[in-house]
Amino acid sequence: MISERLAGTAAGFARQQHRFFAYCVAPSLAVLAVITLLPSLYLLATSFTQLSLTRPETLWDFSQPLESYRQLLADSRLHNSVWVQVKLSFWTVLLQLLIGLGLALLLNMKSRLLEALRTVFLIPMVLPPIVVAIIWKVIYTPDISPMHGIFRAIGWNVPALITDPNWALTSIIIADTWEWFPFTMLMVLAALQMIPQELLDAAKVDGASPWQVTRHVTLPFITGILLVAGLFRLIDSIKAFPLIFILTDGGPGNLTEVTNYYSYLQAFNFSYLGFSSAITVALLAASIVLSWVIVRAVGWGVRVD
Amino acid sequence: MSTRAQRRDRLLLHVLVVVLALLALSPFLWLLLMSFKTNAEIFHFPPRLLFDATLANYAALWTSEFRNSFINSLVVSVVSTALSLLIGVPAAYALSRWNARGSGAITLWILASRMAPPIAFTIPYFLVYRHLELLDTLTGLIIIYLTFNLSLVIWMMRPFYDQLPRSLEEAAWIDGATMWQGFTRIILPLSGPGLAATAILCFLFAWNDFFFALILTRTEAMTAPVAVVNFMNYEGWEWGRIAAGGTMIMLPVLVFSFVVRKYLVHGLTGGALKG
Repeated sequence: MISERLAGTAAGFARQQHRFFAYCVAPSLAVLAVITLLPSLYLLATSFTQLSLTRPETLWDFSQPLESYRQLLADSRLHNSVWVQVKLSFWTVLLQLLIGLGLALLLNMKSRLLEALRTVFLIPMVLPPIVVAIIWKVIYTPDISPMHGIFRAIGWNVPALITDPNWALTSIIIADTWEWFPFTMLMVLAALQMIPQELLDAAKVDGASPWQVTRHVTLPFITGILLVAGLFRLIDSIKAFPLIFILTDGGPGNLTEVTNYYSYLQAFNFSYLGFSSAITVALLAASIVLSWVIVRAVGWGVRVD
Repeated sequence: MSTRAQRRDRLLLHVLVVVLALLALSPFLWLLLMSFKTNAEIFHFPPRLLFDATLANYAALWTSEFRNSFINSLVVSVVSTALSLLIGVPAAYALSRWNARGSGAITLWILASRMAPPIAFTIPYFLVYRHLELLDTLTGLIIIYLTFNLSLVIWMMRPFYDQLPRSLEEAAWIDGATMWQGFTRIILPLSGPGLAATAILCFLFAWNDFFFALILTRTEAMTAPVAVVNFMNYEGWEWGRIAAGGTMIMLPVLVFSFVVRKYLVHGLTGGALKG
């Protein structure tokens, strides 16, 4: 049996191996093609129509293929939404990185209590997004909010933040930062644990203060991780939905209307699916480019065996 | 000796972290408490520390439509998890062992489908489901949940198999086992921990979904997250029930997350980091 395999059939076995692997991969690729690739192409096709469900004749009408894209350039509400998105992404990513980094540095010590608390800090991130939205709806609703209760008790007259034009976007930023700071914290903690102990010991022997060790040894070591964590959060911030849907509904006016939300409104409130598809194609392109940046940054495909 | 100063610093640091943890968790704890309060108690300020806890909110939920939505959520999450594992695990194994060309492109494709804004899939699915009569069905939700869970399985399991030495199944092949037997008898039994973590993460992602269910369901297949939001719109802001519903949705999540906390980074980044 063994000799038979080793002697005549090495090539046959390699072929058999290839066929087996192909059988293993084929179902996944086929399913992924049907459920992700085809819909993406359909989305692209829809973006070349003026599809509106109230006018069924627009379904496969490609007479003006670039009309939706022309509207993209002309729609000032869309341009506003991109600007809101930029502000939201910038502040949430920045705050999450800073808070996550600070907490990770605080928690990175050998201590039973701190190790238990690490898990506690993860709770906001693992909560279902809709529950996070409900939690903040409660906090931002003056009648029942403990926060507003405290403000009243100390005599501050604070408006309802989510309906106040000056505070609406900030209140979303606060809630989003709360939800996702554990993510950056967790990634930084994982990176901190990979710093070789000799490096830290050597710095201490040379008389470096804790602050100097952090500044000159730890931080350079984790900049890569911070970059990747920031990129992941950046891509995710483009998808922000439940918080905005529950807290502000894009308002007041359209001060908290990010592009993803505007696209949702166009498609499922106003029924302009063609136009919405064009917006979404742009969003999709943005996230594919950012994913590609991640793949490059992490160096996937390069296997270290 | 500086030990006293060091000990004091250490104590201060612990106190600081505990205070920060309480501060960070207070919004969550507030919702939890609210779910046991009567509506009158909810509007009471300053809040009483010792209030008469009530289970009325939960009882009211369990006798309402919410129960169906909760069961829908369970069914959809479990089935989509099982299907993703069934289809994805052999692929993850093969991709780990097989140095085929084009795996870089497959990598980007899978990551991109994890990263794509949900609305990119929702528009075409909505249009197609209208014709296939899959709107407002559990089947429809299960299919769209595969878009993220199948990629998740491949991305969780592939690095896991990279770590299993090839000599394991090679020894089995030399003993005359077929490729398939090598996979089912040698590799699968060793995959337990990886499979469990992956299954839980898949379940959580499906369970947590709000956007797809919001758009692709109406009444019949409505999932729990959408049902809770409906309390806000139609039934006059019943905060107690909203809080109880939210708590019921987050309980399984908290339990499972605790079990897989080591794999969280890995799952959330689609395998970018072995956290």
